[in-house]
Amino acid sequence: MTDETRGGAGTREAAPEELSCEESLALVYEYLDGELPADWNDAVRRHVEKCRLCYPYFDFERMFLDYVHEAGERAARTNPQLERRIRDLIAGEQGD
Amino acid sequence: MNESSENRRREFESEALPHLDALFGLALRLTGGDEPRSEDLVQDSVLKAWRSWDRFEVGTNCRAWLMTILRNTFINQYRRDRSRPAQVEFEEIAEGPGAGTLYDADPEGRVFDRLVNEHVIRAIEELPDEFRVPVVLADIEGLGYQEVADTLGIPVGTVKSRLFRGRKRLQKRLYMFAEEMGYLP
Repeated sequence: MTDETRGGAGTREAAPEELSCEESLALVYEYLDGELPADWNDAVRRHVEKCRLCYPYFDFERMFLDYVHEAGERAARTNPQLERRIRDLIAGEQGD
Repeated sequence: MNESSENRRREFESEALPHLDALFGLALRLTGGDEPRSEDLVQDSVLKAWRSWDRFEVGTNCRAWLMTILRNTFINQYRRDRSRPAQVEFEEIAEGPGAGTLYDADPEGRVFDRLVNEHVIRAIEELPDEFRVPVVLADIEGLGYQEVADTLGIPVGTVKSRLFRGRKRLQKRLYMFAEEMGYLP
């Protein structure tokens, strides 16, 4: 992936009416991340909705991103000693 | 110790300390599973929060406030260390349908229901810093590309490229886990 991809750079030309599969696939993450300007977003959506190759791929990538988000958000269990240490440090600073 | 400073401490402890597990989780993701470093990061962040407690508006989102402090504390350390050479070769990565990827093996994504959280957490923690930190900030913390770029002091184009490569590496690792566990169709 390069920033030179059409529609992939910071300064974009106006979105074309039709995108190819290659162009849509190059924008998959920017589309799913909600980072595309409205005209490019609409152009990708129009292509994906009617494309039998791209639709399942975009769906898969969306599932993947949801999976990473949900799993990554889970909290870990802290060592009880850490909480005790933090309480002691706070009490120590309060006493200063 | 007077009553008001005692109340202040109690208030801080009851508002902030319930979020230690969430803070530790974020610290582990950011440090790549380094437990001692994560504990230090949580401790430093909570102490910073305690020292700034007067500026926190009780009733607003304490968890989000603490997570931001921890993130910034980590990023300050990360940016200080950034003078070291990059750890990874930026290899070509297979992409899209037909490239021999997890998608090709399981296009319906059934594997995401079968792999446990530990698999993706391990896969994230194993990513080199260059990829892991943008992935954690964007995909777990929900920052936009510009926010990640500003936070890390890198161009937006680099954020896009690292997210792309980081996510593809994650998929590759998940593919390996799924294959090991016999989860692929």
